[in-house]
Amino acid sequence: MIEVKDLTFSYGKIFHGKDKQVLHGLNFTVEDSEIFGFLGPNGSGKSTTQKILTGILKGHGGRVSLFGKDIKEVHTQEFFQKIGVLFEFPYLYANLSALDNLHYFSSFYPREQLRDAQEVLDELEFKKDFLKKPVSSYSKGMRQRVSMARALISNPKLLFLDEPTSGLDPTGAVLFRRIIEKERQKGTTVFVTTHNMLDADLLCDRVAFISDGNIVALDTPKNLKEQNGSRSIAVRYLYQGRREEQTLEAQSLKAGIPFPYDELLSIHSKEPTLEDIFIRYAGRRLS
Amino acid sequence: MKSSYSLLKKDCRMMASGKFFLVALGSFLLYTLFIHFGYLNFMGDNANIYNVYLYDPAGIHTEISPLIHSVASVEELEEALAGDTSGGVGIHIKDGEPGIVLYAGTEKVDRHRADYALSLLHSGIGYQPEIVGDNTPEMKQRREITCELLFIEIVAVGFLGIASVLFKEKQMGVIRIHAIMPFPKSLFVCSKIFLFLLTDLVFAALMTLFNVGPKEAGCILPAVLIQTGILSLIMTLTGFGCTMLLKDFKQFSLAYLMIALFTATPVFLSANTAIKMDWIDCHPFYYLYMGLKNAFFGTPVANPVYYVCVMCVIILLFGVATAAFHKEMGKEG
Repeated sequence: MIEVKDLTFSYGKIFHGKDKQVLHGLNFTVEDSEIFGFLGPNGSGKSTTQKILTGILKGHGGRVSLFGKDIKEVHTQEFFQKIGVLFEFPYLYANLSALDNLHYFSSFYPREQLRDAQEVLDELEFKKDFLKKPVSSYSKGMRQRVSMARALISNPKLLFLDEPTSGLDPTGAVLFRRIIEKERQKGTTVFVTTHNMLDADLLCDRVAFISDGNIVALDTPKNLKEQNGSRSIAVRYLYQGRREEQTLEAQSLKAGIPFPYDELLSIHSKEPTLEDIFIRYAGRRLS
Repeated sequence: MKSSYSLLKKDCRMMASGKFFLVALGSFLLYTLFIHFGYLNFMGDNANIYNVYLYDPAGIHTEISPLIHSVASVEELEEALAGDTSGGVGIHIKDGEPGIVLYAGTEKVDRHRADYALSLLHSGIGYQPEIVGDNTPEMKQRREITCELLFIEIVAVGFLGIASVLFKEKQMGVIRIHAIMPFPKSLFVCSKIFLFLLTDLVFAALMTLFNVGPKEAGCILPAVLIQTGILSLIMTLTGFGCTMLLKDFKQFSLAYLMIALFTATPVFLSANTAIKMDWIDCHPFYYLYMGLKNAFFGTPVANPVYYVCVMCVIILLFGVATAAFHKEMGKEG
């Protein structure tokens, strides 16, 4: 679906005073029906990459192809009909209602590919009382739901999501992840840009870590954890009335617990989080 | 076609929610009431006369009109003209020949004043002034003031109008969404320009019909609408470009002030007051203003160079506005 080879990009002299290269030769592919996570801190080049892929930014170096065609040929009206984009912020007409916003934005697509606006909002558990109220009266979570509905309403084949669970409560985040997974099951390819490790871990088939315009790691979350895990286990227990903790190598548990104890309190694998792995590769935190 | 309709419908809603149509209607009513009950009543008393001052050191002209004020020296003549706010005319008799002294405006524009002054000087011997039009003084005033108010409305108010609508969209961030919508991006610019142009044309037609009169308006309306269209396109595209390039309404207000100061003010001062500016011929808005004024007086600009120039300017401004729009779409949140 997406093929990127030696992608470079610089913000030109005209607007920024000097050439500032923000992407330094990125290479990655995204398969059909894959959820691909693009992870990195602010300013790492995530949004720039997404803007190049969606045709907002032009003048890149290297080769980028989408839907099997070179990017310079695909950014036509037909291409825009096939993609859906959720921006980092919920951009909506504040004076219009959720329904009016969706009717306006969906009016640019062919009628036969559109979903029913109310049905999409229902799926996103949007409060019915607010359907006809202006967006200016909505909470951030409600705006994010309308924005997601806007991205989904045209039944896109390729979905770009920038921080999809931003501004949502934990229940909303779970709902969004379920909907994204449902889209994938329908055959939609999803490109997620985020610095939320939980989203990446729970959602993505593969993730790429981007730092200072370079991809520093690219694999499935499981493989990254296995390759970078210490395979140690933390055991907490009570012994002679005292609470104690020991860290053991996983292999050493084959013969049972190798120390005296009265009661086991908990056993935890010391598997690294994606954030730990990111720090290991990039030498900095995500947020 | 469907995309154009959607954009036009949305822009109409944005303009309506920004009370743009209400403000335009209010301006029309205010201007019309001012012309009918203020300006014409006030000017009616002063409509007929330009003060004419004569300095005739040899005393050659004895049978002159009682409307001429005689002065005793060149200094007194200059002082009288400088202090005259109604466009006074001076006659200086040198070597027996009358020389016209116009303190205000350009000589080309004010030939009728010179003609009027000479007709008073030679009233006893049947001087025949050139007939430059068949307007009554009241009709002349109606055309002049309607033209001036229309010019102000389009240059200043229309320029602000597009900014008020666009800044809202810019602040809401929705312009960025249009980057990934399946329609040609220049339609976004065209839709706004078309609506503002249409509003300005309706405004101009109403102003002309109600303030010049339906009978006279019939003859001049096509030319007035063409000049209004040119001015409207230039100002709306300039407003569009400024809104896209400037950060917020504060910066825009500064740009607006600059435009008001450097665009409208010199043109008005030069065309309507005693201030004379030699460089006014180099001011592009002077030609636009005179184009509109000539249209109101039934002598539309016939020079093709004028139309070629304005077409080039409009195309250039459209290019700048579209480029600025593309830049705004690619901005970070």
